[in-house]
Amino acid sequence: MTDQPPVLELREITKRFGPVVANDRVDFDLRAGEVHALLGENGAGKSTLMSVLYGLYSPTSGEILVDGRPVRIDSPNDAIDLGIGMVHQHFMFIPVMTITENIVLGSEPVRTGVGHTLGVLDRRTARDRVRELSDRYGLAVDPDARIEDVSVGMQQRVEILRALYRNARILVLDEPTAVLTAQEITELMGVIQRLKADGTAIIFISHKLGEVLEVADRVTVLRRGRSMGTVPRAGATEQSLARMVVGRDVIFRVEKEEATPGDPILEVEDLHVVDDRGLEAVRGATLTVRAGEIVALAGVDGNGQTELVEAITGIRAPVSGRVRVDGADITGRGVRRATEAGVAHIAQDRHRVGLVLPFTLAENLGLRRYRRPPLSRLGWLNLRSFAERAAGLISAFDVRGGGAETPAYALSGGNQQKVCIAREIDSEPRLLVAHQPTRGLDVGAIEFVHSRLIEQRDAGRGVLLVSLESEEVRSLADRILVIYEGRIVAEFPPEASEEELGIAMTGGTVVGA
Amino acid sequence: MTLSVERPRLAAPAEHRRLGYAAAGLAAIAWILTLPPILVRTPLPSIVLGLLAALVGVVVATDPSHRRLGACAAGLGLIAIPLALAMTNQTAANVRIVFTWSAVVASGLTFATPLIFGALGGIISERSGVVNIGLEGMMLMGCYFGIFGADIAHTWLIGAVLGMAAGGLLALVHAYFSIHLRANQVVSGTAVNLLAVGLTGYLFIAQYGDNGTPGTLPQVPNVNLPVVTHVVFFGDAFGHTNLLTWVGLLLVPVVWWFLFRTRAGLRLRAIGEQPLAASTVGLRVMATRYVAVTVSGVFAALGGVYLSDGFDGSFNFNMTDGRGFIALAAVIFGKWNPFGALGAALLFGLSSALAYRLQTFSQTLGTLFLALPYALTLIAVAGLIGRSRPPAASGIPYVKE
Repeated sequence: MTDQPPVLELREITKRFGPVVANDRVDFDLRAGEVHALLGENGAGKSTLMSVLYGLYSPTSGEILVDGRPVRIDSPNDAIDLGIGMVHQHFMFIPVMTITENIVLGSEPVRTGVGHTLGVLDRRTARDRVRELSDRYGLAVDPDARIEDVSVGMQQRVEILRALYRNARILVLDEPTAVLTAQEITELMGVIQRLKADGTAIIFISHKLGEVLEVADRVTVLRRGRSMGTVPRAGATEQSLARMVVGRDVIFRVEKEEATPGDPILEVEDLHVVDDRGLEAVRGATLTVRAGEIVALAGVDGNGQTELVEAITGIRAPVSGRVRVDGADITGRGVRRATEAGVAHIAQDRHRVGLVLPFTLAENLGLRRYRRPPLSRLGWLNLRSFAERAAGLISAFDVRGGGAETPAYALSGGNQQKVCIAREIDSEPRLLVAHQPTRGLDVGAIEFVHSRLIEQRDAGRGVLLVSLESEEVRSLADRILVIYEGRIVAEFPPEASEEELGIAMTGGTVVGA
Repeated sequence: MTLSVERPRLAAPAEHRRLGYAAAGLAAIAWILTLPPILVRTPLPSIVLGLLAALVGVVVATDPSHRRLGACAAGLGLIAIPLALAMTNQTAANVRIVFTWSAVVASGLTFATPLIFGALGGIISERSGVVNIGLEGMMLMGCYFGIFGADIAHTWLIGAVLGMAAGGLLALVHAYFSIHLRANQVVSGTAVNLLAVGLTGYLFIAQYGDNGTPGTLPQVPNVNLPVVTHVVFFGDAFGHTNLLTWVGLLLVPVVWWFLFRTRAGLRLRAIGEQPLAASTVGLRVMATRYVAVTVSGVFAALGGVYLSDGFDGSFNFNMTDGRGFIALAAVIFGKWNPFGALGAALLFGLSSALAYRLQTFSQTLGTLFLALPYALTLIAVAGLIGRSRPPAASGIPYVKE
């Protein structure tokens, strides 16, 4: 195997955006039937490197070789022709079209004869091919379902199928597990093994060390656009990789004192909430969060977490039930009332809910407080005050990559999340609702977020953490509540095992719990 | 494999929906009773039916998920009563003259034809992700150059070709501004409309002066159907329809088939929904949009050719008179689907035809009658058809990374 030339070789790839060097003479190679992980923090240049490989960016300098021959990749079409398939981090779909249509788009089968000349779609062949591939690799999808109606996990399987449909020999998985549940991640790992056995070469991009150690044969680490070297999995540990990624030692286990819970802050009573389609998503949820404790809400995605959070934070009016904060009834009273009662919300989707992307950091950071002095008086905004407050928060929360006047979209994901967290904590809440606060963040940023949440707890605030990551839930929570089909079905201490949680999260009853 | 959760429906069952449509149907019947061929001469049954429809509508409206449908049905029921009263107040002969259905259909088709062309063009453009407010101007280009071509070449065919070319050319201007320069598409479209009014107005004066276009130009012929002509109703309604009307009607399934059954159509729609996703699978976003916008201009212009060279036989200053915008409305009411747009265009056409004939009843209310079809269809469409979702990327310039 080592005698053959690598199927893919990147030599000294440099990519500059103006003065910014996103990739600085990066070397990378990939062999058939191998999983080669690309590890690095957000903004380390992993996605840029892959965009160069996929023809979305042209490199400033450097060379790409496929099967030992130098190639030019000017567009995704060139990449596809060379057998390079991409599973994007942010899925590239046409949401209103069916899974089959999305898979075949760009190289659709057409009928024979006159139909060929006219370019008439052969929809049956398309479906059959999707079925066949789906069976072969165990990637279960419903060919006729619309993308927008299926789960994120299935959407990802569609992305993989799309690459395979185009005969990809080199498959790039860009942070494939960021959006998946534990169950789905296990399935994905199985799929990767089958693909490997079939001779497919896989580039696995991630910032989760555990996963990389589980799946990769070799690991290349990028830091600030530079390659920190390539190491084989054998001998690598989470600690050694983390040091390469951040350039310092990282504390994994969250250090925290025993909680000293006080009076109840949030009381949710028999809450019923309907989702956008008019279906009942939360079906009688009852829970309490007290001062000085972190309550984690664990569950498989789509069990009513989003609707529950929206009802607590005032975004969505519940059908029935009560939400009280510090004894004040804020049920269905809207976001402003919730804010006044002391509810802060780190939103699950920082792009659509958490931030106004085209607004500056100063404006984004002022969104919770803008109605009060010193940010405004009698309805007039005090822009200087906005800027001053923002500057303070930016340095206190170590937001990098921009100042008060930088638009939010210009920051990396981790720094955007810091902005969200800074604003919410700055509102001096009684209750902090953190919905998947570390989604898509790298080790350094996760460490930061976790310590902030514990800080809030120790300051006597109530924290409701909604997370799909059982590791996060178990390391942060003082109590764990499991939500299943819109109801709180179990409560565990933080020492609960992964298995116990998993069973409760999928609707099983836990014996002896 | 999916972990999706089965959720029980809180909202009331589909019965309310059906009940709502039934009430709207009752409202329609309440009015139809007083029209030929039934021609009931007392308003009583209509009043009863109208009130019943309103009542059922109100009941349906108490269900929060069908509030709009219920309100709309109730509204239609209440409107049906004065309409029925108006009919029964007239002499039977008068009502018969206005509601000669075959004539209403024939004239409705002439009103609908430019709308059909315009709407098909609009659908193609918007499905590719470019809003085409400029349909009006492109239609107007078709009007002028259709006549001009027929005049200089002494055949309507050259007129049609010249008209379509002019519309396509104007569309290219819109395409260049909105795709290449990424201008706001509404602004660009509006500019294109104004440009067309000025250009055709100027050329018209320069070429034909005060006398207007000659009265003896070769026109697009009517199709005289040999057998159908002698059949009751059908003969008068469809026997002498203009060639371009048939072309327009034929293009509806063709465009539908193109959009939903061919490779190019799938790609066009993909580009109009998520251009970035489409480009990552290797589709050419800009080129496709250019073609789509140009074709849309050609379609709209053919509608204009019909107006001037098919129907009128002459050109007048700004003769499209907002038809391009009505076509745009038909695109939206038809939910960006050719058959839906055809339905909307026919609805507008038929009600315009009726409105003109209703002027027989009252000269003073004539102008008001002209607005009635739009008001009625707006209510009907808002309540009965519901929200329509545009192509996701429509109106948003594509920036290649």
